[in-house]
Amino acid sequence: MPNGETGAALESFAAEVGSDGPVAVVGGRTHWEVGGPCPDDTRLVRAPSGVRSFDPADMTIRVGAGTLVEELDAVLAEAGQRANLPIVPEATVGGVLVVGRDDVHALGRGRLRDVLLEAVYVAEDGRLVKVGGPTVKNVSGFDLCRLLVGSLGTLGLVGEVILRTWPRPAVQQWLSGPCDPAVLRRELYWPSSILWDGQTSWVHLEGHESDVESEAELARSLGCNPTDGPPSLPAHRVPTAALEAGRLFDSYLVQFGTGSAYVHEPFPLPEPDPAVVALHRRLKAEFDPRGRLNPGRDPLAAL
Amino acid sequence: MSAKVSLGIDPEELASCVSCGLCLPHCPTFRVTGEEWASPRGRISAMREVQDHGAAVDAAFLSSMDTCVQCRGCEPACPSGVPFGSLMEATQASLARRRWGDWRRWGFRVLGHRWLLSLLSRTLAIVQRMRLVPSKRLGLPLIPLAQERLRASGDDVWLFTGCVMDAWQRSTHAAVKRVVEATGAGISLPGAGAGCCGALSLHAGLENHARALAIRTMGALEGSAPILVDSAGCGAALKEYGELVGTPEAAAFSRRVMDVHEWLAPRLEELPGVAVRSSDAVVAVHDPCHLRHVQRAHHPVAEVLARFATVVALDDEGLCCGAGGAYAAMQPELASSIRERKLEAIERTGAQIVASANPGCTIHLANAGVVVRHPLEIVDEAIDHDG
Amino acid sequence: MLPTDRIRSASLERSLLGRDASIFEGGRAGPVCFPVSTEEVQGCVDAARRHNRAVVPRGAGTGLAGGAVPLEEPLVVVTTKMNRLLSVDADRRMAWVQPGMINLDLSRATAPYGLHFAPDPSSQQVCSLGGNVGTNAGGPHCLAHGVTSAHVLAVEVVLTSGEAVVLGESDGWAPGLDLRGAYVGSEGMMGITTAIAVRLTPDPPAVQTLLLAFDSVDSAAQTVSAVIADGIVPAAIEMMDNNIIRAVEEFVGAGFPTDAAAVVIVEVDGLPGGVAAEADRVAELALGLGGSVRRAADDNERALLWKGRKSAFGAIARIKPNYYLHDTVVPRTRLAEVMKQVYEIVEEHELQVMNVFHAGDGNLHPMLLFDRREPGIMPRVHAAGAAIIEASLAVGGVLSGEHGIGMEKRDFMPLMFSEADLDAQARLRRAFDPEEMANPGKVLPTGASCADVNALDKVPEGVWG
Repeated sequence: MPNGETGAALESFAAEVGSDGPVAVVGGRTHWEVGGPCPDDTRLVRAPSGVRSFDPADMTIRVGAGTLVEELDAVLAEAGQRANLPIVPEATVGGVLVVGRDDVHALGRGRLRDVLLEAVYVAEDGRLVKVGGPTVKNVSGFDLCRLLVGSLGTLGLVGEVILRTWPRPAVQQWLSGPCDPAVLRRELYWPSSILWDGQTSWVHLEGHESDVESEAELARSLGCNPTDGPPSLPAHRVPTAALEAGRLFDSYLVQFGTGSAYVHEPFPLPEPDPAVVALHRRLKAEFDPRGRLNPGRDPLAAL
Repeated sequence: MSAKVSLGIDPEELASCVSCGLCLPHCPTFRVTGEEWASPRGRISAMREVQDHGAAVDAAFLSSMDTCVQCRGCEPACPSGVPFGSLMEATQASLARRRWGDWRRWGFRVLGHRWLLSLLSRTLAIVQRMRLVPSKRLGLPLIPLAQERLRASGDDVWLFTGCVMDAWQRSTHAAVKRVVEATGAGISLPGAGAGCCGALSLHAGLENHARALAIRTMGALEGSAPILVDSAGCGAALKEYGELVGTPEAAAFSRRVMDVHEWLAPRLEELPGVAVRSSDAVVAVHDPCHLRHVQRAHHPVAEVLARFATVVALDDEGLCCGAGGAYAAMQPELASSIRERKLEAIERTGAQIVASANPGCTIHLANAGVVVRHPLEIVDEAIDHDG
Repeated sequence: MLPTDRIRSASLERSLLGRDASIFEGGRAGPVCFPVSTEEVQGCVDAARRHNRAVVPRGAGTGLAGGAVPLEEPLVVVTTKMNRLLSVDADRRMAWVQPGMINLDLSRATAPYGLHFAPDPSSQQVCSLGGNVGTNAGGPHCLAHGVTSAHVLAVEVVLTSGEAVVLGESDGWAPGLDLRGAYVGSEGMMGITTAIAVRLTPDPPAVQTLLLAFDSVDSAAQTVSAVIADGIVPAAIEMMDNNIIRAVEEFVGAGFPTDAAAVVIVEVDGLPGGVAAEADRVAELALGLGGSVRRAADDNERALLWKGRKSAFGAIARIKPNYYLHDTVVPRTRLAEVMKQVYEIVEEHELQVMNVFHAGDGNLHPMLLFDRREPGIMPRVHAAGAAIIEASLAVGGVLSGEHGIGMEKRDFMPLMFSEADLDAQARLRRAFDPEEMANPGKVLPTGASCADVNALDKVPEGVWG
C-alpha cells in the first residue's frame, strides 16, 4: 500500500469506530480482563483481518490487526519465517500487541515491543493515523509504535500492522533441571529462553544443529536434561523488580530477559512514580481526552 | 586586545574541515574538558570566525588557541585530511606578531645558542642542587652537572643532537650512539652550528626564527648520509623542513631524516645478541605524538624493543600525554589533567617501565613518578656490547 | 544550579555550539551549560524556564540532521562532562551509563566481561550514548541485533517541568505504557537524558567476514535479497559501489577489487556451526549470481576489510571538500531499482555520488560530493537530495533510517505522513513537554510549535554568570 493511502477495510473499520461513544476492539478474548474490566455500555468492534501483503524476501508482513496469530504463524511458516509474537490460540495479532506480553522465546529472539514496524490505528476522533514505517529500519518522526505495544488500545484502536519477521530456526530443543538460571545465562551463548520457578530452570536452544548439540551438552553438564517444554505461564504478569523487592509469591515463573515473572494470583503493585503516572495521564488526555477508547482499561494495571 | 585581524591562514586549508567531529576523541584537551573550544573542530570554527567573519581576537579565542598541545593527534583521525598543524602554526604566527613582548619570543632564542643554553643549564643544575628552584612545579628534570663528551666514529649516518636534549639528557644520546655503532655503522656528529631544530619556535608562532634555525641545522648536517634523530619532536620538525623552508634542498634534506628506530628496525640482525635481558620487566611503549601522529613512524619502536624486553602497548590510541614541548610549563593544569589519563592507561598495562622516544614526554611523565627510559637506553643495557 | 565555571556565555563559545556535523549553519547558542549530574541538569531546565528560554541538549555534536543546532539562542545543555560508566551488571547483561559517555568507550569498558553495546554508528568512536538515544542510532551491526531502541532498557530523563523520571526498567519491563520506547528517538524534544540503562550483547564466539565482488550493482543487490530470502540474517551486510571502491583503495588499500561494479561485505557471527554453514551458503548464493568470493582468513584480514568500509568518508573527502550524506530506507527487494534511480538523479543534477551503505536493511546512504564554493551548487545538491527522498518514498521507503529528521527532513515529513499522523506525533511530544520548550523547531513541520519560542525575550548576558 503506497504511503498516504488507506485500504477499504481500514476505512470501514474507522467508520465503525466512529467519533462518538465508548468503544473497544474485541479479539480472541484471551486476555480480556487484563488492565481492568470494560464497562457494559462499551460498543465492541472487530479489527480487519487477513494478510494484506507479504514478500518473504523483505521479511516484513502486513496484516489486519484482527488476524489470528496462529493464522499469521501458518502463513509465515510456509516461507520458513516467524514473527516474535506469542502464539496464543484464538488470540489476534492486534490483541497480543496491545496486551504486550513477550513470547516465551523473547530472550533470544527479541522483544515483542521491537516487532512492530508500522501501525494504522483509528484515533479517538475517528481519523485513521499511521505511525512508524514499512521498512525494518526507520527513525522518521517519533516512535509511536513502541507506545502502542502494551497500550491496551487506550490511545488508538489498531486496525493494521506491519511486522518484522525472522527465519525459523532449523533445530530447537528444550531442557530443564535444577540448575541456577544465572549460570545458564552466563555459560550459554544465546539461549532463546530461560524460565525459572525458584527451583527448576527451563532453557530453550535453537539454531544450527551442531550448535544446538554443543550448547545442549553444556546445559546438560550444568544439570539440565531434555524435556518437552516448559509449564504454561501462570495468568498474571509482574515485573521481576517486584520479586526482587522481596514480595513473596507461592509460585512463580520468571522469564529471563523480559523483566517479567508470572504468578497465579493478582496482587497490588507498589505505587508507581507520580511523574510516570502524570505522563500516562497526559498521554491519555492528548490521545483520548474523552476517554472513549477501551474505557476501564489502565496500562499501569495491566498485569 | 580585541581588534579585527586576518590570521593569514590558507583559505583552502581552512575550508577543508566539514565539522564531522571525528577528531574530538583524539584531542587531549577535548578529552579532559569535553568542550568545543578545546577541540580541533572548535578551534577551526574559531579560526573561521576570526578570519572569515571578522570576530574579535579576544581572551576566549586566545585561550582556545593557546591550550592546543599541537600534538596533531587529530590529523590521522581526520577523514578530510585537514592539515591542522599548519592551520595552528599559521594562527600562532599571526598571534605572535601581536604579542611581541611575549617572553617565549626571547626564551626560545636561547635554544638556538648552544653555549648560552649550556651555560644556563649548568647554572640551573647548580641551583637545583641548592634547592633554590621548585623543579617539579616547573616541570623540570634534574639537570646533570657534568656531561660526557660525544665523539664522532665515522660517516655512515648523522646523529642529530639538538638543544635541550643535548644539554639535559646527553646520556641518552650516548646510549643511542652505542646501539647504532653496535650495528657496525659509524656516526657523524653535527658541529657547533646545529642546535635547536626550531620546533618550539614554530609552535609558538615564531616562524622566521624557526626558519633561520632550520637553515642553520641543514648547514651543519651536509652530505647524503641518513640523519638519525632520537627525539620524536625534533625528528618531526626536521622531516617538515621541506614545507617550512620551501626549497628543493630542504625537501631533499627532509627525505634523509629518519627516526633512529625506523633506521634500526630493518638492521636488528646486525645487532649483537642479548647479554642481559635487562630484566623481566614489562615495558609499556608510549608513542610520542610527533612520532605517531606527525611522522606516523611509531611501529618500529615496539619492533626494536620487542627483541630485548616484554613489550605492551597502551590502549589509548596514542592520545597525547600533555608534555607538548613547552606546553607542560605554559598550561600546567591542563597538562596534568591530560597526563592523568595517560597514567591510568599505563597503570592498566601493569608495566613497571615506560619507554618514550621523546625527551619532552620523558620529563613530563617522570615528574609524575613514572620510570621512563628512552627505548634505546633499554636496548643499550640489554645487548652484549662485547659479543 | 551549576558553578559558574561550567556556564559559558562568551560570544565565541556560543557560536561554536551553533552547529553540529550537519550542513546547517547559522544556529546560535544562548548560555551554554556543562552539568555533571541529574540535579544540575534539573537546575539548567529550571533556569531556562525562569528566563523563558528553550533548552537544547547536545552530546558530541556529530548528528547529521541538524538535531542539535540551537535555534533562537536557547540554553544549551552539553552532556560531555557526564561521561561516566555508572555500573555494570555482567550477569544481567546491562550497564547504567551517563549520557555523555562515548559509544565506543562503553564497549571498550565492557570488553573484559565479553560484552559489548551492539549499535555501532560509523561515528561510534566519538558519538555519545545520549545522542544515540536521541536519534535511535543504528550502524552496520544493527541488522541482526536491532537499533538503539532495542538496546535501551531504561532512561532517566529530566522533563521540561524540571522533574527527573525513570522511563522503563533496567530489568526489562515496567508496567504501563512503553514510555522508554516513545522517548528513544525523540531528538531532544521530550526532555534531557541524564542516565541510560543499556542492554549489553555477548561477544560472538565465532565470526566470518566475506568480501563478495560483482560486475553489476544489480547482481550485488540481488545477492543481498537472496541471502535474506534464504533465511540468513547476517550480523552485517554492507555494500559499496565502484566509485567508492576506487576511492577507498587509493586511500587505504584494503584489497577491494577496483574493477568490480560493487562489493558486498557480509559478516556472520554466532556459534561456530551456524557461522560456517551460513558463510558457505552466502558464498554459494554469491557465486550463483555471478559474484566472486573472498573470505577473511584471520582477524587481521577481517580488520582490513572493515577498515576499508569505515574509511569511506576519508576517501571521499579527498575527492571534493564537501559531502552531503543522505539516509533513506527502502524495502530490501527494491534496492537495485532505487540505486539505479539515484545514479540517474545525480547525473541529471551534474553531481558526483558514491554509495556505501547498510544494504542488509535497505538503508541507503548516497553521498553527494561537491565543493560548496562552486557558484550555484547548493540548489543542485538540495534538488538531488529531494529527488532521492522522493524516489525512496515512492517504493514504500522511509525518510530516515538512522540519522533522524532534525532540521534536515522536517519539511519532508508531509511526504510520508498525513496531517492526522503528524498531529499524533505532536500530541506525543506535548504529553512529555507541554510547553514545547525542548529543542523546538525540529522534526515536526508545523510552524505553530515554533511560535512561542520566537516570542521569547532575550536574556541579557551576565544573568548567567
